[in-house]
Amino acid sequence: MTEAVSDFNLGETIVFWVCGGLAVLGALGMIISRKAVHSALFIALTMINLAILYVANAAPFLGMVQVIVYTGAVMMLFLFVLMVVGVDSSDSLVETIKGQRFAGLLLGIGLGLLLTVGIGSALTTSGDIGLTAANDAAGGNVQGLAQLMFDDYVVAFQATAALLITAAVGAMVLAHRERWTPRKSQPELSEERFRDGGHPGNRPSPGVYARHNAVDTPALLPDGSTSLDSVPGPLRARDDVRDVDPADVDEIRELTKGVDS
Amino acid sequence: MNPANYVVLAAILFSLGAIGVLVRRNAIIVFMSVELMLNAANLAFVAFARMNGNLDGQVVAFFVMVVAAAEVVVGLAIIVTIFRTRKSASVDEPNLLKY
Amino acid sequence: MEFISPELDYAALAPMIVVGVAAIISVLVEAFAPRSVRRFLQLVLVFTTLIGALVLVVLNSGMRVLTGGQSIALDGPAWIMQGTILILAILGGLLMAEGGVDPSGDAFAPRASALPGSEDERQFTIRGYLQTEVWPFLLFAVLGMMLFVASNDLLMMFIALEVMSLPLYLLAGMARRRRLLSQEAALKYFLLGAFSSAFFLFGAALIYGYSGSIAFGPISFAITTKAGENTLLLIGIAMLLVGLFFKIGAVPFHQWTPDVYQGAPTPVTGMMAATVKVAAFGALMRLLYVAFGGVRWDWEILLWIVAILSMLVGSIIAISQSDIKRMLAYSSIAQAGFILVGVVAASPQGLASVLFYLIAYGFTTIGAFAVISLVRNASGEATSIRDWAGLGKKSPLIAAIFSVFMLSLAGIPLTGGFIGKWGVFAAGVAAGDAWLVIVAVIASVIAAFFYVRVIVLMYFADPTPDTAAVVIPSGFTTVSLAAGATLTIALGIVPQPILDIIANAGVFIR
Repeated sequence: MTEAVSDFNLGETIVFWVCGGLAVLGALGMIISRKAVHSALFIALTMINLAILYVANAAPFLGMVQVIVYTGAVMMLFLFVLMVVGVDSSDSLVETIKGQRFAGLLLGIGLGLLLTVGIGSALTTSGDIGLTAANDAAGGNVQGLAQLMFDDYVVAFQATAALLITAAVGAMVLAHRERWTPRKSQPELSEERFRDGGHPGNRPSPGVYARHNAVDTPALLPDGSTSLDSVPGPLRARDDVRDVDPADVDEIRELTKGVDS
Repeated sequence: MNPANYVVLAAILFSLGAIGVLVRRNAIIVFMSVELMLNAANLAFVAFARMNGNLDGQVVAFFVMVVAAAEVVVGLAIIVTIFRTRKSASVDEPNLLKY
Repeated sequence: MEFISPELDYAALAPMIVVGVAAIISVLVEAFAPRSVRRFLQLVLVFTTLIGALVLVVLNSGMRVLTGGQSIALDGPAWIMQGTILILAILGGLLMAEGGVDPSGDAFAPRASALPGSEDERQFTIRGYLQTEVWPFLLFAVLGMMLFVASNDLLMMFIALEVMSLPLYLLAGMARRRRLLSQEAALKYFLLGAFSSAFFLFGAALIYGYSGSIAFGPISFAITTKAGENTLLLIGIAMLLVGLFFKIGAVPFHQWTPDVYQGAPTPVTGMMAATVKVAAFGALMRLLYVAFGGVRWDWEILLWIVAILSMLVGSIIAISQSDIKRMLAYSSIAQAGFILVGVVAASPQGLASVLFYLIAYGFTTIGAFAVISLVRNASGEATSIRDWAGLGKKSPLIAAIFSVFMLSLAGIPLTGGFIGKWGVFAAGVAAGDAWLVIVAVIASVIAAFFYVRVIVLMYFADPTPDTAAVVIPSGFTTVSLAAGATLTIALGIVPQPILDIIANAGVFIR
């Protein structure tokens, strides 16, 4: 494979540098971001750019699959799980072993240098046969892939079934919470709500009769007393309840005089 | 400029993924870095398929996507389970297992 | 273009098809069978399947075929390893089926999804729920291992690796007791496993770039015909090896081993420790001998280093362990190093010795973990070595059986482990790796120290109030334990039948 080294045409050169640059940027962003959600978005950027590079490399089918499977399904699943476990689950800065991060960084950079320099120097003379012939022989890129997948690699294809079933069953086993009591019916639920003496109806809304509509202002009952029920629980717990202007109380008493409370 | 540049790009992305795994301590980000490494391998396969002039590399890349999808499901299920158990998804935190 | 449907050798693939179909039926049992009969149906299904597949393997053992394109190679060593994996899976499955040792059920959480310590979990335990999904996982894992030892191209090998690993990650996280520890083990196993398979994959990409193919035959052909520039090849081989070294637990890719061995449910640890070693060494040897036989001199040095590190690091760290499961984990790392001595030899003799070693190691390991699952105190398994003091006086039989396993792991004569070690060391010397064998002998002396220490502790220390008690198991563990012990001794006294079978199997086809 030492025939003439073919050059990219100008279009591909531009695509390579733009999309390749963005892909590396996304990868860097993923490593550096403090928040996991930002990391997920950065790696989605990388994956979309890789899809474009696949198309540029005569793999239009894979480009589409990349967008659908990776950015569409895998990364969204990541985001979904991030939302489940809490968006702001950022890194703990505790290092269990001192210098572990630094050592990891050095190791990674070393690996990177070894790979890029090694591969870069090894490939300077390699050829670029292109896939036109291979695609034409099968009648198209997708047909060519299908041909290989269902012929030479059919056992591997079958084996992926085992993989997908394992994944589905595994997710069920770990995440599906089974009930051990029968589900409560509507009458049972409503009965339960009344039986232990809970408040059956709506709570009074804050600020009723109080001439003030802030949530921390308790409603006034017709006899002029305050109803702490109307203040949201968290505020009550913090003792953050606003006092009611005594003048308002008097006014309410005046208004409701003679009304049976 | 020749297609080998794609492979070098793949190597860079792979190394960045490896650095992510080694440096970050959040299980989900570590896992994302692994996904980046798989993607880098896929890019290398696709570029080599073009350079070698056969479609095997593209088929492999396709299979890798299937495998990765299954792996993500299992991995995230494990991460969610352990997170529910200890309300934090950091690899090293209250760690019962010694190094 | 007309599509010609592929020619598959269904007879040769039959054992794997049986296991795969049974795994799917097993999932259907989970979906449709009422809860009360699930365990019974699963046990019948799993053991019928494994025994049936084993019979098919024995019937097929004369075949030497490449099928599925070139992706599956079923040759002598493949049949031996598939048979070994099936037997070990049966013994491991028996341990997993044990329901009489833990007062509250089997070794698995009643529902893996229930939060540890929650009311849900308590209720599931009281109601005697069992997580019977472990059985489809076992079958899928066995399918993956059988594919792994037979895979003859890099894609098949990668997929088989994942089919084998995913169920094991899940199984590792499902222990009934100390669940956080178990889940952390699963997470660690999963993350490091995924990391290493990414290395495997990138290595595969480089090899594909070098040779233009992912099948072992064409790769080997490319190596012999292409002269000169082979940086790509060497980096590729190194990265593929990283992925496989991780699975066999060789230093420096061993960090997951102690944690996973300790955290996973003991029956799973036993099953996994034995079968994964067989599967991963099978794949490693096929890859190195069939695909990369032409550059033997280049990968040999890598294996030398890893073998020496594994033997020494495993043996030395094992000495300082206070937990018996962690000790066996480090011991397994050292054992991986010993087996690598046979792999480095890269000769038919080396191959045969490694196969024998794997068989002996597998039976011994499953037996040892069976004993660990029986030695218990109030809080579950008594894995702290201190709690084993004086066990020989309280339960002489179990202590004697465990001593046999320890002696076999240490490589003392009249046990399978001795013949195994002898075989790989002899192969190493014959291949001119005398220095490596000397290091291996030194490491085995160090290793013998901590194996014998457990025996001394069991017999020559007085029982303390903390000394654990041995629970009388049901038939499942008894059969498994008896088989492990009998075979360990039988392989040491009359190894010839097995050696003959291995000798008849010949070498990998290409």
